[in-house]
Amino acid sequence: MPLYECNEHQFVENIRRLIETSEKFLVNRRIIMYDDAKYGPSTLPEEEFRRYATICIRKSLKSTVFSKIPFIDEFHGRIYEKCESLHGSSNLLFPRMSIPYYKVEYSINVWGGTYFFTFDALFEPEIVIEKRSGKRLGRGTLIHVLKYNPPEERILSISLPTNVMVFDVKNMIRVIDYSLRF
Amino acid sequence: MQNKQELKSISVFVSLEKIESNLSEIGFSINGTTTIVADGKFWKKMLYIRGNERISISEEIGDAYPKDPIITICASKNTISKVIDGVKKTNAALRM
Repeated sequence: MPLYECNEHQFVENIRRLIETSEKFLVNRRIIMYDDAKYGPSTLPEEEFRRYATICIRKSLKSTVFSKIPFIDEFHGRIYEKCESLHGSSNLLFPRMSIPYYKVEYSINVWGGTYFFTFDALFEPEIVIEKRSGKRLGRGTLIHVLKYNPPEERILSISLPTNVMVFDVKNMIRVIDYSLRF
Repeated sequence: MQNKQELKSISVFVSLEKIESNLSEIGFSINGTTTIVADGKFWKKMLYIRGNERISISEEIGDAYPKDPIITICASKNTISKVIDGVKKTNAALRM
């Protein structure tokens, strides 16, 4: 079964064409959370990096990112000191600061082919000042806290008419259809 | 009775501000934004809602030029026409 990759525009237009031909089809959707250090502040475009500017600094895109102030990464349960190296586009042994994301995959199977559109949706950073206690922090210390909020499902979804059925799936296993062999 | 919803996606060489202004004129308001990565590029994805009609706009983040936001419309035929007409008026260089 061939796999065809589409961008958003192509995928939606393909669905529209199928709707117009009254062809019966099903849209499959898979949303899985990842935190595999694929994304970090060093590789973010400037506009997106500005959202982290309270706590970290970098010279330019893809340069090493350092902490400006001590802060807690609540999602990963880590504390960073001032001037700590957080992320770089070159290989850090341990990419310390990473941005979790949802991998969203939409696919349709038509006439023996699978057409899919995939994208990653980054978790939204939220930086707040909170009172925290701990061994390194002492008692009731005010400190910056970085939180990651998952994007809401309504924004992740492709807007489709209500008559289009979307099935959520955990995984897609490709099988060889021997009946197609002559 | 609700109008039958249809689907349309267009890719346009029109600035996001002009598209937003057009959507605002016909009663759509922003309902949420998120940052996505697709085709190796960072995009800002915005959702606009009017009743049960939904329009999402994906625009590349950064200094890419020319910018061609992708507009995905799930709405009545009339609304789809209004959005496309608004874009056409703004810029003749419309790719559909």
